[in-house]
Amino acid sequence: MTGLCFGQKELSKKPAKVVKIDSGKVEIRKIDTAEVSAYSKQRDFIYDDVPPESLSLWDRFWNWLWDLIGRAFRNKVSGSLIKYVLLGLVIVIVIFLVIKLVGLDYKVLTGQSKALDIPFEETLENIHEINFDEQLELALQSYNYRLAVRLLYLKTLKQLSDQKIISWLPDKTNRAYVSEIQDVQKREVFSDLTLQFEYIWYGEFFIDKNTFESVHQSFQQFNSSKV
Amino acid sequence: MFSQRTDLSQLNAAVEQIKEALGKVIVGQKDTIDLLIAGLLADGHLLMEGVPGVAKTLSAKLIAKCISAVFSRIQFTPDLMPSDVLGTAVFSPKTAEFQFRKGPIFGNIILVDEINRAPAKTQSALFEAMEERQITVDGHTYHLEEPFMVLATQNPIEQEGTYRLPEAQLDRFLFKIEVKYPTLEEEIEILTNQHQQRTENQLQEIAAVLSVEQIKTLRATIKALFVEPKLLAYAAQIVHETRNNKSLYLGASPRASLAIINAGKAIAAMAGRDFVTPDDIIKVATPVLVHRIMLSPEKEMEGLTPSDIVAQIIKKIEVPR
Repeated sequence: MTGLCFGQKELSKKPAKVVKIDSGKVEIRKIDTAEVSAYSKQRDFIYDDVPPESLSLWDRFWNWLWDLIGRAFRNKVSGSLIKYVLLGLVIVIVIFLVIKLVGLDYKVLTGQSKALDIPFEETLENIHEINFDEQLELALQSYNYRLAVRLLYLKTLKQLSDQKIISWLPDKTNRAYVSEIQDVQKREVFSDLTLQFEYIWYGEFFIDKNTFESVHQSFQQFNSSKV
Repeated sequence: MFSQRTDLSQLNAAVEQIKEALGKVIVGQKDTIDLLIAGLLADGHLLMEGVPGVAKTLSAKLIAKCISAVFSRIQFTPDLMPSDVLGTAVFSPKTAEFQFRKGPIFGNIILVDEINRAPAKTQSALFEAMEERQITVDGHTYHLEEPFMVLATQNPIEQEGTYRLPEAQLDRFLFKIEVKYPTLEEEIEILTNQHQQRTENQLQEIAAVLSVEQIKTLRATIKALFVEPKLLAYAAQIVHETRNNKSLYLGASPRASLAIINAGKAIAAMAGRDFVTPDDIIKVATPVLVHRIMLSPEKEMEGLTPSDIVAQIIKKIEVPR
């Protein structure tokens, strides 16, 4: 009780509010009419009586195009035809997106096996398309024994591939083919032939007629041997 | 049938000796040892990556031990400064001049252990040394003695406390050799050797096989080996494909093509041939390219590795025959 009375007493002692009067000099600023007039003449500040914009050639082209499409749709025959074309286009886009998202190979649509596809942008030579006897004859006629050995080696690869002893693919190295041969004896002989081919072809070792005869014989023996 | 045009007998004997010496201590890791020797012969710097405990540092120390040359070891730590590697100018009260005190980079075989634990600032100290075989400090250029080879080890980037090496530095390494875990049989052999205290004795027994001069001669021999023009095109095609491959964000530089050919020559010489074959190129293509290419973010998220992409690229290009 005493505390409350004390509180009231304290409040009563609070001084009355004093109104302060700002006696400072007020400077009245006026708008410069010349400046306003200059602004009002600028194009950006003229908000009314805007002249209609002249259409550019590009805009006119689009207007013409949309008008053409609109008219085509209004026509019964061409309108339905365009509808079907657009529908077809949408279906193709949806299929394309699905294939892209799933990561499928496009070959599935054409029915081609993925395994048959040779993953090369540029295949230099297909051993199954070379006429070896003809090419070999030409090489020997021009005394190009190095090329002749190469043709003998490719011919051997073709034969091994035809006999299903190796699976021919352009990305495989000679040593990969060697390791593919299951028959130990055949593998050893082919390994030696490969070495001879590598020395002559990659190493550019000189080869004369006698050496070629010997190499030729080795290849013939290998190719004529039974699986 | 074909007599050798280049005498590789000294080289082959040295390779066999190094393999034998390393084989006494390191169990398995045949490919790692082959690439280490190829890198040494091809005058390249080598980066070895693997989880802790797969004998990366030991392999590097052993290969250095096989050569009687000045060997330095720098342990890369997060607080290492470039001057700790290169050297620094110290004031001499006697002459009242600053004198350059050479850092550990002045050696023949430099083992940089845990290279990816130092930040990029310190890594950049190696750039000039690795490429130009010289360093420049305070406007002075100091040439490094030949042979100069950096053998660096690192933990995979996913490991704690490691930094990604700058691309410019990675490009300066001839190979990134990924050191794998040993097989079960190899691990049993490691334990047996340790149990019988064989490893320690064999480590001390390893003597230098090659001198500095011999290394220089062997490197010159390898540089002169024959490469068929179609194989040069084959190597260039592989590298070129890395720049156009959609799975890659960054392709390999022409330095990679040079590295493939040089390393291919070393592999051919080790096989006793004085000419390169496509197999040699394929063998070195992966360790030459894996650290030089960067996967696109989506391929990285798919879990592919640079090795997978290199394998795909090799499969895409026809072997010249």
